[in-house]
Amino acid sequence: MQFANLLVIRLIQTILVIWVVVSIVFVISRLIGNPETSLMPWDATNEDYERIREKLGLNDPMIVQYGRFLGDALQGDLGFSYHRTGPALDIVADKVLGTVKLTAAGLVVALGLGVPLGVFAALRRGSPLDWLARLVAVFGQATPSFWLGLMLIFFLATRVSWFPTAGAEGFRSLVLPAIALGLLSAAGFMRLTRSGMIDVMNTDFIRTARAKGLNERTVILRHGLRHALIPVMTILGIELGRLIAGSVIIEVVFSWPGIGRLMIESILQSDYPTVQAGLVVIAASITLGNLIVDMTYRVIDPRIRMAAL
Amino acid sequence: MSISASTDAAVAAANTESRRRWQISYRRRRYLLVAPPMLVMIAFVVFGIFADVIAPGDPGQTHLLSRLEAPVFSGGTSEFPLGTDHVGRDIWTRVVHGARVSLIVVAIVVPGAALFGTVIGMFAGWRGGIVGQLLMRYVDVQLALPAILFAVLLGAVLGASLRNVILILLVWTWTVYARLIRAEVLSLKEREFVLASLAAGGSNWWIMRKQLLPNVFNTIVVIMTLEIPIVIVAEASLSFLGVGAPVEQATWGRMITEARNYLTHAWWVMWMPGLALMLVALSGNLVGDWLRDLLDPRLRNLG
Repeated sequence: MQFANLLVIRLIQTILVIWVVVSIVFVISRLIGNPETSLMPWDATNEDYERIREKLGLNDPMIVQYGRFLGDALQGDLGFSYHRTGPALDIVADKVLGTVKLTAAGLVVALGLGVPLGVFAALRRGSPLDWLARLVAVFGQATPSFWLGLMLIFFLATRVSWFPTAGAEGFRSLVLPAIALGLLSAAGFMRLTRSGMIDVMNTDFIRTARAKGLNERTVILRHGLRHALIPVMTILGIELGRLIAGSVIIEVVFSWPGIGRLMIESILQSDYPTVQAGLVVIAASITLGNLIVDMTYRVIDPRIRMAAL
Repeated sequence: MSISASTDAAVAAANTESRRRWQISYRRRRYLLVAPPMLVMIAFVVFGIFADVIAPGDPGQTHLLSRLEAPVFSGGTSEFPLGTDHVGRDIWTRVVHGARVSLIVVAIVVPGAALFGTVIGMFAGWRGGIVGQLLMRYVDVQLALPAILFAVLLGAVLGASLRNVILILLVWTWTVYARLIRAEVLSLKEREFVLASLAAGGSNWWIMRKQLLPNVFNTIVVIMTLEIPIVIVAEASLSFLGVGAPVEQATWGRMITEARNYLTHAWWVMWMPGLALMLVALSGNLVGDWLRDLLDPRLRNLG
């Protein structure tokens, strides 16, 4: 029952977030910007401008435009793209899979690199491996992702051609973007896992597990790591949002066909319907991702199941 | 019994003694470790301020006969110490002047965002109310969404200019201060010394100025330091995406974008601004971490 309540509250929150996003985009694009100038050729006459303003409904008062826009959005109609053919939402939907693939791969890199490195670093504190892992963490946290992506291209795609420089054909083209995207989060996960493991390995229940005669592997993986992963789970939602946000610039660097690149292109072309649709989709996926992480987190750790809404 | 107790005490004393010694050496080690990044940051500031003196040439000056010339340590001439780009502009001059652009942006955005965010955060934490709640919900939304998209949208609509970049980054970064300062004020508000001032009839303004502000000051300084590399990278990202400073201005982000096509045969065009950016971002992070541990260890999980 309470679980259902929580779900409803969070869904309402999601809708509110999307409303705020749509409104911000509306304000930026309609109040500050002029959609019609980007649509017209340079030699367009005043009458041409008047015609297009009339056609797009840009002559109506702002509040009427906003109302019409919200009403359409509620029915799932986010307008037609100014520059591509078709409804904006369809154009964005075409690119969703690309971004999902990239984000998922980035998450795999982040967790697959961060958690094991964190465990090793914690178990062998002060060892060269620990130092190496912390060095990677510092670099991962400080290097701008687009620069990291370009360095990866430089070393692994141009000096030696192990991976393609750009595009999205096959598994190999996914490797570099995934690393460029995931390394920052991997650094965060590594730091959290390391400090979590260091704390947990000194607790009584680990001593008990060892005293029971369990082998060290079980102690570390079943008893220690499980506990150390709780803080990792807590920030998983935030990191997921960061990965989706980070994918924007990574998609541009690697010419990856996803929402991010589509949005940057659309923004630079003043294709506002596509921008709006893209932002709605991204906002929805981030908040929904957060919701899913939140729910699994509550299932895994019963202590906080109902603690805070 | 008593013997074992005294041994325990002796062991404990020895332990604290050795721990204290270790801590001193740890602190000393931190000083040594933070010296190089500190020097990089100082160099960054000096280069930014004295760009005209250090590299007196015009960063936009093209030399069409010496395009893509290699740096001096890689077979080039000393006329262009770091080589030239695809239209023959001197990379050294451009990197130095790029530092100036980054410095100007940081020097305005970081204090500006700190001021605005602190005012909002203190207000929302102290008085709250409906307005405070709404502001914080807005902060939540902004922090949860990809700021880069809104920034690029705003940049495209406003047009490329340094003033607009600064404006965008102010809008982008003030929320961090607001959220953390509000959280601090919320907890300070329940502390005895604040309650005592209230009971003694202290005005809101007086308490904010004399009791809350000094207590959140360290937090503000720490966030500001940590925000320096973030703002530098954000500015570079905007330039990289083509909505940053105008074309005629030399910025690291734009230099990196323009160099992408020459990656294979003229590595230096991309590496010089890229290394500068990475070095400053890394150093800023290290100095920020150090300052945070020094001033406010509670913020360790921040950023």
